[in-house]
Amino acid sequence: MKRLYVPLILFLFLILEGVAIKFLPSRFVLGEQLMVPHWVLVLLIYVAVFYDRGNKSQAVIYAIIFGLLVDIVYTGILGVYMFSYAFVIYIIQNLKKLLHGNFFVMLLFSILGLVLSDMFITFIYDLVDIIVLNWDNYWLERLLPTVLLNLVFFVALYPILAKRLMEWGSENNWD
Amino acid sequence: MPFFRNKRLFIFLIGFIVLVALIGFSLKDRENLSMVEQFINDTVGWAQNIVHTPVTYITGIFKNIDDLRNTYNENQILREQLGEYKGLVYDVQELKEENEELRDALELIESDSIRNFHPIQATVISRSPEQWLDEVTINKGKQDGVSENMVVITAEGMVGKIQTAQHYTSKVQLLTGFDQFNRISATISRGDQNDIFGMIEGFDDETNTLMFRIIEESDKDVEEGEMVVSSGMGGVFPAGMVIGAVTEVVPDQYGLTRTALVEPAADLYEINHVMVLDRQAAEPEEEEEEEE
Repeated sequence: MKRLYVPLILFLFLILEGVAIKFLPSRFVLGEQLMVPHWVLVLLIYVAVFYDRGNKSQAVIYAIIFGLLVDIVYTGILGVYMFSYAFVIYIIQNLKKLLHGNFFVMLLFSILGLVLSDMFITFIYDLVDIIVLNWDNYWLERLLPTVLLNLVFFVALYPILAKRLMEWGSENNWD
Repeated sequence: MPFFRNKRLFIFLIGFIVLVALIGFSLKDRENLSMVEQFINDTVGWAQNIVHTPVTYITGIFKNIDDLRNTYNENQILREQLGEYKGLVYDVQELKEENEELRDALELIESDSIRNFHPIQATVISRSPEQWLDEVTINKGKQDGVSENMVVITAEGMVGKIQTAQHYTSKVQLLTGFDQFNRISATISRGDQNDIFGMIEGFDDETNTLMFRIIEESDKDVEEGEMVVSSGMGGVFPAGMVIGAVTEVVPDQYGLTRTALVEPAADLYEINHVMVLDRQAAEPEEEEEEEE
């Protein structure tokens, strides 16, 4: 049963991403700044650091599955989120071996993951002409607000999720 | 361990190839989404509906309290306007009858008119977090008669069109995400055959307005504040849907035609209840909205 917690939580936040943005006050959405919730990615980083043990890499598999789901449900252009999420989680899983997973390391991982994945997504959308992008404006208008929004989400989740994921992870890896 | 190093590189390259293939597949002009995508979209839509309903209920309560404060003032204004409408009602009644008589004389049946449509009420259940794409999901799908390219409106005016329809949910492309592939044939209505025709050709992010390219000039210049409505000539949208008001007229880059910047009448950011319009007149063979 505890095996199912992680995918269920991921699925819940996948759904909430779309519903929550509708209830953001319109001046956030209307303004120059674009905020994109990458909540699934933040959760995946938690899973990668706290849930996976040793050389197990369930997080990468979850990243592929849920990245693809984000693509299907919210953008219709398959593969972009899937690839960038999986790639970022793979990098973080390798970095995890060098640094011990405490709050500040997690913060660093989250910033790194968010910046990398958002840039990658933007780069691909720009490449295939889905959006017309001015890279000069991108840093301040989209990247910074996006990273900040998701960091708030990350900090809010830390006390709730970190210990629990470790428990679930250890139980999962024992059997 | 050179073998493992190679294996990693191998997986990475395969992943990259899959990525390119998937993007290529989804950018292709697809008539319908694949079964898997439809199924996932419907499942997620169903779950979103469950989450969305209580949240709207709670936010609705707060909004209602807010509304109550303004009620008295609004009531006063509405009462004044009601007096004016009474006169209009008689006019409309008479015009309608006359119109019907003339139609009978011409032996046109009701469904021939491009003004007629069948509305489908729907609620917006989610908005794409990827904000560049300007998509929202509504809770009505093919089962309710929604199909691709139908126009979506709110009480204020047009907000977009149906991009893809699944069985129980559908995705709406908002006007802000329109480009040269999603044109709307539109018109500025004037008396005496002086109508101005043109195309809505996309959305300008810098000024937050739609670009209305004027094809057929009238003797008089376009003025600020004039209403742009759909003309129904595109073959899919019904005629007479309010799109927005002109804010500025600028010449295009070659100086041959002029483009009016049109501010959308509907609020494209706070959309809750929408109507999908099913045009009753038969579609012509070629859909001009999708051409070029």
